[in-house]
Amino acid sequence: MANFQDKFILNFITDNRWHYIWNGLLTTLQITFFAVLLGITLGFLIAIVRSTHDKTGRMKIGNVICNIYITVIRGTPVVVQLMIIYYVVFSSVDINKVIVAILAFGMNSGAYVAEIFRSGIMSVDQGQFEAGRSLGFNYRQTMIHIITPQAFKNVLPALGNEFIVLLKETSVSGYIAMQDLTKGGDIIRSRTFDAFMPLIAVAIIYLVMVMIFSKLVSMLERRLRNSDH
Amino acid sequence: MTTNGDVLIKVDDVHKVYNKKLHALNGVSNEIRKGEVVVIIGPSGSGKSTFLRSLNLLEVPTTGHIYFEGTDITSKKTDIDKHRQKMGMVFQHFNLFPHKTILDNITLAPMKLLGKSKEEAQKRGMELLRLVGLEEKANGYPSQLSGGQKQRIAIVRSLAMDPDVMLFDEPTSALDPEMVGEVLELMKKLAHDGMTMVVVTHEMGFAKEVGTRCIFMDEGQIKEEGAPEEFFDHPTEPRLQDFLSKVL
Ligand SMILES: Nc1ncnc2c1ncn2[C@@H]1O[C@H](COP(=O)(O)OP(=O)(O)OP(=O)(O)O)[C@@H](O)[C@H]1O
Ligand SMILES: [Mg+2]
Repeated sequence: MANFQDKFILNFITDNRWHYIWNGLLTTLQITFFAVLLGITLGFLIAIVRSTHDKTGRMKIGNVICNIYITVIRGTPVVVQLMIIYYVVFSSVDINKVIVAILAFGMNSGAYVAEIFRSGIMSVDQGQFEAGRSLGFNYRQTMIHIITPQAFKNVLPALGNEFIVLLKETSVSGYIAMQDLTKGGDIIRSRTFDAFMPLIAVAIIYLVMVMIFSKLVSMLERRLRNSDH
Repeated sequence: MTTNGDVLIKVDDVHKVYNKKLHALNGVSNEIRKGEVVVIIGPSGSGKSTFLRSLNLLEVPTTGHIYFEGTDITSKKTDIDKHRQKMGMVFQHFNLFPHKTILDNITLAPMKLLGKSKEEAQKRGMELLRLVGLEEKANGYPSQLSGGQKQRIAIVRSLAMDPDVMLFDEPTSALDPEMVGEVLELMKKLAHDGMTMVVVTHEMGFAKEVGTRCIFMDEGQIKEEGAPEEFFDHPTEPRLQDFLSKVL
């Protein structure tokens, strides 16, 4: 037990090493939060273009562009996308790495969110669409007031899942030398030559965040469900 | 014909072709006048729904024209959404908005499209709910209603827009038999209040009692039409005689 205490002090207390974990956690949360916002926005726009094309045959060019985007993003590893954005796209620009990470993870997530939203929109019964149009709503109004609220509810579990994946995927941020939560633990490991304690600590923090988030999603889900069934 | 009101809808030689070869409508012309209750019958696949749904352009005719209140709504230049506000439609499967309360189902379109205030829209909404005896359901959700109640709410949702005509596509076909009556009663009430109605139905009793004109469709065409008495008692078209002998 004394051994455990010594190791704990060595890994987290000495030289204020817990700062690596704490600051890393803040960075991870920051990246995740803004990447989620970007992902939802991008995903929503792409989904609207794609499902408008599916439903009406309009927006042909937009649909092609969105298709290419989704295929490329989903067909390549996120860590490669992250490195390309940092080392290739912004190679000659001095840019905050956090912003690079938000862009990379947000753009990546957007492709997945787009397909989630699209399947949600397409899963809303066509009769809902016709009811909206027959009342005199135009296409856009029907989407806003009638289709997307139902689509959102249908896809909430899948969306929640996507954000859990995103949170965990930010752990590759170390590839562009960012000090996120994972990197923080890894730095401590390289200083103290003890792998167990910092890595387990990092793992537990991810796990707790995921569990809290899952709980929030299922609460939201229940509230939405209660409201109409 | 029992009415001689103004022409509300004029259908001029409408064809609807699906997938380049399936002729759902094969040259349909007709006039629907104010105050008429036009009942459309015919075998499955004869084009009844396609005809009805082309009246508010849910189905866009391949060729031909449809005029509503004098405007060619098949013209690309026409703002169809504006005209649809004046044409209520009731579907076989109700299509209530499940994520909104009953009252919100009714007030959504008047508020967003007619610019009514919330109080105004809700006041009218409650009036309409009282008309169908469902005011205590105002804050419930569609999933808490029976089929007959859902369909009455769907009718009320359309009425909230103060339409000039109501289109019904087999409004009682998805209902349990014991609920058909309450919906037909409401439709009858509307007809008596002078609403112009076009109704696709298999309810021959309703057609005879409430209809002012009956249309028989077959193979994408209007094969016979007339006042209910002669239509049902002395059909001339052999296909109609055949059809009636099966359903009556
Ligand atoms: N969206 C569509 N795509 C292809 N074919 C269609 C479509 N809608 C209708 N049809 C075809 O057009 C024809 C007429 O259909 P319609 O739905 O108007 O018939 P109906 O008289 O309403 O039949 P029912 O009594 O079964 O409702 C049918 O052969 C049908 O299969
Ligand atoms: Mg039909």
